[in-house]
Amino acid sequence: MTESQGITRRTFLSTGAKAGGAVVLAGAAGSALAACGSSSGSSTSTAAAGTPGVGTGTPVTGGSLTVGLVAEIDGFYPPSNHWDTNGFIYANTLYDPLMAIGADGTIQPYLCQSMTANATFDSWTMTLRPNVTFHDGSALTAAVVVSNYNELKASLLTGQALAQVTAVSATDPMTVVYTLAAPNPGFPAGLTSQLGYVVGQSMIDSVKSGNKSPTPVGTGPFVFQNWQPNDHFTATRNPHYWRTGLPYLDQITFRPIPDTIQRESTIKTGGVDMLQSTDPLTIKRFEGQSGYQVVDTRTGVLGEPTMAFIMLNTTTAPTNDINIRKALAMSLNQGTIQKIFGGGFAKPVNGLFLSDSPYYSDPGYPAYDPAMAKQLVSQYTAQHGQPKITLVTITDPRLAQVVQIIQQMWKQVGFDVSISQIEQANLITEFITGEFQAATSYQFGAIDPDLNYVWWSTTTVKPVGSIGLNFPRNSDPVIEQNMLTGRHSSDQATRVKAYQTVNSQLAKDLPYVWLQQYLFSEVATSRVQNFANPTLPSGAKQYPYDEGIFVPTQIWLSK
Amino acid sequence: MGKYLIRRTLQLVVVAFVISVLTFLLVHLLPGDPTVSILGTNDTAANRAILLKQLGLNLPLWHQYLTWMGAIFHGNLGDSYLNHESVSHILITGAPVDLELIIISQLIAFAVAVPLALITSRKPNKPLDNVATTTTFGLLALPPFVVAPILVAVFAVGLGWFPATGYTPFTQNPAQNLHEMILPSVAITAGSIAVYYRLLRSDLISTLQQDFITMARSKGLSSRRIMWRHAFRPSSFSLLAAAGINIGALIAGTFVVELLFVLPGIGYALVQAVEQRDYLVVQGITLVVAIVYVLLQFVIDFIFTIVDPRVVRE
Repeated sequence: MTESQGITRRTFLSTGAKAGGAVVLAGAAGSALAACGSSSGSSTSTAAAGTPGVGTGTPVTGGSLTVGLVAEIDGFYPPSNHWDTNGFIYANTLYDPLMAIGADGTIQPYLCQSMTANATFDSWTMTLRPNVTFHDGSALTAAVVVSNYNELKASLLTGQALAQVTAVSATDPMTVVYTLAAPNPGFPAGLTSQLGYVVGQSMIDSVKSGNKSPTPVGTGPFVFQNWQPNDHFTATRNPHYWRTGLPYLDQITFRPIPDTIQRESTIKTGGVDMLQSTDPLTIKRFEGQSGYQVVDTRTGVLGEPTMAFIMLNTTTAPTNDINIRKALAMSLNQGTIQKIFGGGFAKPVNGLFLSDSPYYSDPGYPAYDPAMAKQLVSQYTAQHGQPKITLVTITDPRLAQVVQIIQQMWKQVGFDVSISQIEQANLITEFITGEFQAATSYQFGAIDPDLNYVWWSTTTVKPVGSIGLNFPRNSDPVIEQNMLTGRHSSDQATRVKAYQTVNSQLAKDLPYVWLQQYLFSEVATSRVQNFANPTLPSGAKQYPYDEGIFVPTQIWLSK
Repeated sequence: MGKYLIRRTLQLVVVAFVISVLTFLLVHLLPGDPTVSILGTNDTAANRAILLKQLGLNLPLWHQYLTWMGAIFHGNLGDSYLNHESVSHILITGAPVDLELIIISQLIAFAVAVPLALITSRKPNKPLDNVATTTTFGLLALPPFVVAPILVAVFAVGLGWFPATGYTPFTQNPAQNLHEMILPSVAITAGSIAVYYRLLRSDLISTLQQDFITMARSKGLSSRRIMWRHAFRPSSFSLLAAAGINIGALIAGTFVVELLFVLPGIGYALVQAVEQRDYLVVQGITLVVAIVYVLLQFVIDFIFTIVDPRVVRE
C-alpha cells in the first residue's frame, strides 16, 4: 500500500546530517562564491527540444499545477520540522535558500549575493541580495538572517548541525558574518539545506509567542494559501518575487498520495499534472508513453546516490563475524533482486558511488559467489552451529517480495533465515539502538560524502541498547580518519582518495550488503514544462533534480 | 424504561473509562516513541531526554494518564506532537469524510440488500435466490483493498467516469463531492450488502412461515403488503443489530479506503499517527471513536426497545 521504503528521508536524511560540516564539490572549495548577476526570469527553454522536464518554446505565465507527492510533511518551520524530499519541495515553493547547488556541483549564492571566507576558512562573510522582501512585505536583512540562525541553533532538531558555528553577527544591514570553531572550506554547502532557508521575522515571532504551526512567511516564489494535512497544500504566485518575471505559474497545489498505483491512476485521470515516485516500476510504466515525461535519478546524480541495502549489525552474533557478512554478501544475486525490486532499471552497485562518479574506484566489494559463500557458512557451522539470521523489514508488499528472494538465496548457502516485518517506526528504533541482525534500508543520498559522516563515524558507535547513529556499530578508525581528511581538505584529489578509501573499507567491513541504487522519479503530463531545468539567480544552471527534489519557480504550463 | 436508560448510561460511563485506560496503555505499550520522528538525525540520548521532558513523556504513566484525562475534561484532546494540529481539529475536519462515506455506503447497501432479500425470500432456493446468495458470498470475500483498485482501474482509469483520488468538501462543491465519493463508498459497500442481504433473507424466510403471515394471507392481503407491512418489521431485528455494529466499525474503520482514495478522514489520520507514534492523536481519536461507537450501540439498543418492547422487560 505504501512506497517501498527502508528508512525514509523524512526521518534520517534531514537537516542534521545534511548540514553537518559539509564541504563543497569538485574544486568549488572557493573562498569567493560571488554571484555574477541579477535574477534571471526567462532562461528556461534553452535545452534540447524533447528532453523530459526541459521547457521548449516561450514560457507561458499563468495556470495551476497540481503535484502528487509520496508523503505529507509535518510543517514549514525549519528549526522544528523535518524536511525530507517532500519537505524540500514545499520549501522551494515558499522560501529561498541562501545557497544552492549548481548543475556542476558547485555551491552558488541564491538568496545571498556573495559569500566569502577569510584566509583560514574559519570566518565567512555573507552579503545579502538587496531589495528582497518577504511575503508579508518586510525586508530581507542581516538581522532576520541572524534571527533565523538563533532559532536554528536553539533547536533540538537543527542545533547540533550548527555546533561548528561559534558566533553569527550582522555587521551591517546586509552583511552577516559566521565565525566557526575550526576551518571549514565547505561551510556554504550547509546553507543549501534546511539551515539555509530563511523565514520572515513575523513567522519567528509567531512561534515565539506560542504558535506551534505558524503561517509560513518566506521570500519564495509562491505565497502560502492553505494546508490541510494529508489532503492538500496550495500556494499562489508571489507577485512581488525578487526574481523578475518569475514564477510562471499562478498557483501550485501539492497532494500527498501515499499509494503508488493510486498516484499513477490520479495522473492518468487528470487529478494531478505531475507526480513524484520512489518506485522504479513507475519509470517502467510511464517511460516512452505518449503524453508523459519522465525524469529520474538513473543519470545525473551528483555526489552519492541513495542506495538500497541490507544493514548488518557488526556487534551481535552471527553477523559480528566478518566471514558471515562475506557469505551474506556473496550469496546475493543483485541481478535477480534488481529485476524484482528495481524493474531492471537500477544499475549494479558495489559501494557508495556509481561508476560514473568522480569518487568511484573499484572498492573490492565481494562478487556474487554462492559456492564460496556456502564454504564460509560451512566453516562457521562447524565451529558454532548453523548461523541464524533474522532479516527485518517494514510491512510493505514490494519489500516482502524482495526479502523472500533474499531469504531463499541465503538459505541456499546454509543460513537459517527468518523474516520479521515490522512498522517503520519500530525499525528505526531498532536501528538506533542496534537491536537487529540484518535489516533492509536505504540511505546515503548526499551531494557530498561528508554529509554522511555521522553514519560511519566511530564517534557515533554505541553499545547495543544505547542510542547510536552508526547503526551497524561498525567502528573503523580508517573510515573515521579518512572522513575527517575529506572534511578538512580543500584539495579535490585528496578528498577523492579519502572517500575512495572509505568506500573500500566499507567493502572490507561489510556493514552494508548493497542491493541497488534507490531511484527517484518524476512523471509529468506533456503540458508541464521545465520542471527539471531550473537556473540560479546568476543565470547558471541549477542542479535540476536532487534526489527527487524539484524547484517550482520556473515551471510553466503549455497551452 | 427510565431504569433501563439509567442502567445503560451508567454502563456507558464505565465503558468510556475502561476504553480511556486501555487506549492509553496500548499506545504506550507500542515499541518506540515520538522522539524518533521528531528528532531524526539528532536523536541523541541528551536531546531525547530534553524532548521527553518537554512533551511530558518522562513522567510516570499514571501521571501522564491523569494529565491527559484532566485536559480532556477541560475540552482539550491535545495536539499532534509532529505538526501540532489539534486532535479536535483532526476530528472535526475528518468526521464529515467518514460520515459521508458511511451514509452513502450504507444507503447503497440497504438499497441493494433490502429489495433483493424481499424478492428472494419469497421463493427461496430458486434460481434468483441462488444467484443472489452466491454473489453475496463472493462480495463478502472481497475486502475493500481488493475492490478499490479494481474500481479505480475500471471506472476511473478505464472508463474515466470518476476521479481516482481526491476529496472536495460537500459544502464547497456538492456535485464534485458526490462524484469523488462514489467509488470509495462502493468499495466499502460490498461487505455490507452481503451481510445485510443474508441476514434479512434468512429472517424473512423464517417470518414468512409464522402463523400471523398465514393469517394475513388468508385475509387476502397482497404479497407486497404482507412483505412490507407484516414480514419486514419483525425480520429487521438482526438487520438493525448488524447495521449498528457495522456502522460503528466503519467509523475510522474505513482507513484502507481513505488511504487508497486519499480521503482526509479520521481513519487516515489515525493510521498516520500510529505509524509516527503521535500518542495524543492516537489516544484522542481512539477514545472519541470508541465512545461514539458505544453511543451508537446505545441508540441502536434504544431503537430495539421501540421495535420490540420485550427488550426492556427482559
